[in-house]
Amino acid sequence: MPSITFLPSYRKITVEPGSTILDAIQRAQIQMNVVCGGQGKCGKCIVYIKNGSVEFDREKFGKFFTADELGQGACLACQAVVRDDLHVMIPDSSLIQQQKILMESLGIETPFQPSVWKYYVELSPPTLEDPSPDLTRLVWGIQKQGGPLAEKMYAPLDVLRGMPRVLRDSGWRVTATLALVPGGYRIIDIEKGDTRKELYGVAIDLGTTTVVAYIRSLVDGHVVGIASNYNRQISCGEDILSRVNFARKNGLPKLQALAAESINLAITTAANGAGIDREDIYEVVVAGNTIMTHILLGIDPAYMIEEPYVPVVRRYLTTAAPRLGIEVAKDASVFLFPAVSDFIGGDIIADILASGMGERDEISLLVDIGTNFEVVLGNRDWMFSCAGAAGPALEGGEVLFGMRANPGAIERITIDPVTLEPQYQTINSIKPMGICGSGLIDLLADLLRACVVDRTGRINTEIIHPRIRQGVHFPEYVIAWKQESGNNKDIVITENDIKNLIMSKASVLAACITLMKQAGITRNELSTIYFSGAFGNYIHKENAIMIGLIPEVPIEQIRNIGNGAVEGANMALINRKKRKTLDEIAKNIAYIELNAESSFMDEYTGSSFLPHTDLSLFPRVQKMLDECRLKKIPPGVP
Amino acid sequence: MAENSPDLGGKIGYVVLGATKAEDGTRSVSYRLGGESDLPFIGMKTSLGSIPLVAFEICDDPSYWSPIVTSYTGDLVSDTPEWATAAEQQYGADLVRLYLTSTKRRGFDDFPSITKVTEDVLSGTGLPLVVEGSNEPAIDSEIFQRCGEAGQGERLLLGTAEAGRYRSVAAAAMAYNHSMVAQSPIDINLAKQLNILLREIGVKADHIMIDPYTGSLGYGFEYSYSVMERIRYAALKGDTDLAMPMIASAMDSLSVKEVREADPVIRDDIAVAWEFYAALSSAVAGASIVCVRHPKTVPLLKLAFRELWAGKKPGEF
Repeated sequence: MPSITFLPSYRKITVEPGSTILDAIQRAQIQMNVVCGGQGKCGKCIVYIKNGSVEFDREKFGKFFTADELGQGACLACQAVVRDDLHVMIPDSSLIQQQKILMESLGIETPFQPSVWKYYVELSPPTLEDPSPDLTRLVWGIQKQGGPLAEKMYAPLDVLRGMPRVLRDSGWRVTATLALVPGGYRIIDIEKGDTRKELYGVAIDLGTTTVVAYIRSLVDGHVVGIASNYNRQISCGEDILSRVNFARKNGLPKLQALAAESINLAITTAANGAGIDREDIYEVVVAGNTIMTHILLGIDPAYMIEEPYVPVVRRYLTTAAPRLGIEVAKDASVFLFPAVSDFIGGDIIADILASGMGERDEISLLVDIGTNFEVVLGNRDWMFSCAGAAGPALEGGEVLFGMRANPGAIERITIDPVTLEPQYQTINSIKPMGICGSGLIDLLADLLRACVVDRTGRINTEIIHPRIRQGVHFPEYVIAWKQESGNNKDIVITENDIKNLIMSKASVLAACITLMKQAGITRNELSTIYFSGAFGNYIHKENAIMIGLIPEVPIEQIRNIGNGAVEGANMALINRKKRKTLDEIAKNIAYIELNAESSFMDEYTGSSFLPHTDLSLFPRVQKMLDECRLKKIPPGVP
Repeated sequence: MAENSPDLGGKIGYVVLGATKAEDGTRSVSYRLGGESDLPFIGMKTSLGSIPLVAFEICDDPSYWSPIVTSYTGDLVSDTPEWATAAEQQYGADLVRLYLTSTKRRGFDDFPSITKVTEDVLSGTGLPLVVEGSNEPAIDSEIFQRCGEAGQGERLLLGTAEAGRYRSVAAAAMAYNHSMVAQSPIDINLAKQLNILLREIGVKADHIMIDPYTGSLGYGFEYSYSVMERIRYAALKGDTDLAMPMIASAMDSLSVKEVREADPVIRDDIAVAWEFYAALSSAVAGASIVCVRHPKTVPLLKLAFRELWAGKKPGEF
């Protein structure tokens, strides 16, 4: 069998002839950037063949490379078929980089009402005079310590089996862990001595891309450890659809295991950081989108991506951690957030919980933007929701120099309206490699302010300026010259990039407007717009309005709830009463299918403009644009 | 009918085409289009606007023209100014619309000919002139500059601006005080977007005519009709970015299968019928100018408009 050596690590692995290099990379557990899931569409999994040769269609995939790169043996890992021994160089840019992940919180106060408790009891040993059974002795002891009524408690068989030993070995001094369950309290653990302080729970955001874990003390509710890592399912495809397709090809057990593994990794990292034992985590709360939740439960998600798009389960679920492969206390329970539909999942319910919008009279709009976006509008009495595909442009995909929020990504940029010279800031302040979503929004807003692009996003090539030029295929604006960039290339934004960006933002805005029209709500009636997700935390709010990503409201009415999914999961973790409201919230949300909404296409065309065709929706932007234009006489007009 | 007419409050703006001697031009007539404050034929209590005008389309290189028209018309088509004269004197058109089809030739660079043909057509007819320039970004600027300059003072209508290329047309129109055609592909939002773009580079609303793009009857005309109605309705409700008069061309009519493949004996009649109904429908949907290519269509349309618009003369309100 051919053996492959990966450079620069010199990791070696053998594979079947006919495998792709990507197969080998995944088997070697190297975290490769595979945006399209290995279909040869994204051009991100670039590797260089240093020794040996592969079968690779250089004609077909040549568009991803310069002649120079091809000369150095560049190919796409997912399309290169292995026949013989190879040395393969994996450039840093093809690896998944450490990503900026959001961990701040909105700081809504939630009453501390956990659903697990620990009781320390010192029992008198049984005697001939007092021969009551071990369990009776224990539950009476707990009741005496202020615990629940003795007859409300029960112990499962596993706990009973261990009980006599623990009680006697500890000299009848034990700590019992109780969990609230329907109809009573379950004794889920008995430990020697006083371990009352070692009582923790974990809130998990199981995202398509990242997994975030918050460990909290369930004695006082405080956060003790936070960690996050990539969802390891990425190696089976980057977007959610490719995961479902992977599951369809008998890949569900693998995806399920990877989901659990990703969660375990985050829990372990957080626990190690806090110096606590994973075995002391007695409760797990997971918020994830509907497909992630299904996969974690090991339920086939296939029927959600084909008509008529039905999930298997929508209600909230509770199960035991070991059944899902989550490594915490062995009798810990896992609470999974409910969903509204296949597209509006537990993560959005968690967003709603975190924003508090479902508890107020005022009307709010919640926008969660990723590759897909979700929008929720409403208040305590009613809610409308919808979801759609924003396309990858806002996350840096389908943009020539677009990238994720990794080191070297331009995350902030301004353009001088007179000199047209940019000023930018990159993540980790290193030389720029590309531009991420927040940078793209800044860039587009300032190109518009500077009249470099018109309101359809076309670059005015009549402006004579070294940064504005005709590129190979499209007109482009140079953000960073080769000499200042980190990849020895002029970093540019092309007219085509801008077009993709506008298409992405238009679908979000059109969705917002469609929901508002359905509900008969004008922008003046919106009390707050919430941005959820990492994206929302980093974008410049005024610029988001400038380009018409969201409806115009005063800046102070826009709030970031940060990672709303993990925030909501945290709330449900420390306040059991919140969990009961979740099914209620989910049930009250009407889901609007945008494809079935005839007005959506109209709204979409109207929104495919900067900021929108109807400027009466954007009075502040209109004023700004007029002011910008007054300062400039557009070139090309006598 | 009048009692049921809704008072929408908005009004279509005016566009003036052509300049007479009194207006420092050389045209024998000038038109003020627009002014409607109702949907056509729904309300009669206020002005119905001007009676629709018929523009006759000619070109400076007939090899790009429909053989139906060229074979019917004969040698006349190779003398563009004479053709323009015929449009006015024989066919009875209200305007002439000149397509600079010569610019379609590969590597076209005979820019002086553009100036000449524009001037010659202006001499050949006293009617207000619509000039359709090139369709090639590389030469657009020069072409529009040339025809704009040649028609200085005549208040031409220059065409055609689209969202992807509007700067050259707009620059020439603004430099020489002409109006311009703003065309978008059968979509109210795109029509509005283009008008906003034009406004933002300085084109005045009273120098824009909307071409909503009209397909042929039987080939999607109903979409055009519906979009025209929506554009007009939005304008009447107060959307000033859409409150311009509309121009519609029935040009696709001559290339539909039913016309191309018609029995040669009756082909002209079929062509005329197809153009007539498309143009008539456009006018009913709100177009102020309809454009046709078959000489026989012109008098039929004029008659129909006179009857429908109750005896009004061109330009009369």
